Amino acid sequence: MPSHAEQIPPPPSSFREVGIVGIPPLKVISALNAAGIVIHDLDEPLVRESLETASPYLPRVYCAILRTAVVNALHLPLDAIYIDTGPGKCDCALHTATILADSLPIPVIQTKNTDSTPFGTPLCQARLDPVAKMQAITRGVKSAAAPSGTPPPCPPTAGFWGVPPRDFSILSLFPETTHFYGWARCMENKTPADHTLESLYNEQVPTVFFAQSFCAKTALARYLARKHPHALYLDVDAHTSSSAKAKVQAFLELSGIS
Amino acid sequence: MLLGDFGTSYCKFLALGQEGAEPTILPSKELPPGLRVDLATGHNGRRYADRYVNELVALARGGAALITEERYVLLDCGSRDIKFIRYENGKVADMGWNAECGASMGFTIELLERYYDLDFARMQAPERTFSVTCGVLGMSDIFDAVISGVPVAEAVARFVKGIAINAYRFAGSPPRLHLSGGLCDNPIFVASFPCQVVPLGRFVLLQGLAAMAGQEKIISSRG
Repeated sequence: MPSHAEQIPPPPSSFREVGIVGIPPLKVISALNAAGIVIHDLDEPLVRESLETASPYLPRVYCAILRTAVVNALHLPLDAIYIDTGPGKCDCALHTATILADSLPIPVIQTKNTDSTPFGTPLCQARLDPVAKMQAITRGVKSAAAPSGTPPPCPPTAGFWGVPPRDFSILSLFPETTHFYGWARCMENKTPADHTLESLYNEQVPTVFFAQSFCAKTALARYLARKHPHALYLDVDAHTSSSAKAKVQAFLELSGIS
Repeated sequence: MLLGDFGTSYCKFLALGQEGAEPTILPSKELPPGLRVDLATGHNGRRYADRYVNELVALARGGAALITEERYVLLDCGSRDIKFIRYENGKVADMGWNAECGASMGFTIELLERYYDLDFARMQAPERTFSVTCGVLGMSDIFDAVISGVPVAEAVARFVKGIAINAYRFAGSPPRLHLSGGLCDNPIFVASFPCQVVPLGRFVLLQGLAAMAGQEKIISSRG
């Protein structure tokens, strides 16, 4: 069974490289940073291996982010995995933690992140290439420090609500003046369990409400899209299909956004 | 200027600027080699033109040219997929494109008509329906019904009605919808919607291309 980090012990000196799933508490990240341990964000595709290699451990019809985390965990030389299973993550991660702990010879440490100190969301509101912006936000989970040198906010012309997608290519369709909302904003703010912040949207700008297929957040994404006066609900699995891209392109074009 | 809507089963063309030119239809499998058009849409369209227009955009532009209402839902039922646009106060309020779970509905309906040697034009919309999620999965219901003694024509008609109801729900269950695509010519399909239907025919996407090329109206509202 996975161990639970209610009182998080300092990482052993033997740790060189660890993986994280979701957003472990700041204390955990601080301790790992202080010890100079390399952190791999297992939620992102890091190895050139098929998602099918996760199938002995997780069903094929399952969150593509967690399937990706399992593929990474199987193929990277990790000394431990910290996997958040608190209110800022999901039951799917909880069960994945159990399976990884039973399957891997390394410690799988569950955390429950309830951090509530806001770090701010300048990246989400900045004028930046949307792919680079999301990459900067996801990179931020590996550091306990606030990002420096972030650009000033810009007026939004479009909105992207949701989690960082497994396939970032969908973001390349959006203009630089797109503001990010949803869990991506919680991620930058280092408050992944802030459901009030997660539910925030801007009804003044056309917004795509995105969720990974088979994720519990599909319910919130669709609910908020129905409340928003000018929205598109979209769920995508492992790869962005041509019809998903076409939907976003058409939505933006027909909303007058170039 | 040659416009082309390159669908899965059929392609539609119009020579814009030629006096009296009417849209023409060609089965996709009979496209001549080396064919090029000036402006294309449809999921095969990128291969045949330098200028390509997203299908949903072409549908929306075509609907805007043909429909005078401020609030409406336009549903396109093609061979491979279904898509809709909902306009409120002249602006796009919602849209959807189902190429996965709604796959192959139109294709399957045509296949069944040929396989069972049916003539949809001479059949009535049935009272009952199947719960159909996609063309391929829905065929099992037909086979099961036939085995249990339901006449083939009735079983296929229930399937067609199930597809119409599924498409209606996908479009948000509106009280009235404008229908585009080849299934406008299928009377069972049109009569199976539990709402008022305004068939616009199969040239709405071509109309959208024409509008984008600067020609406002190339077909009557029922193409």
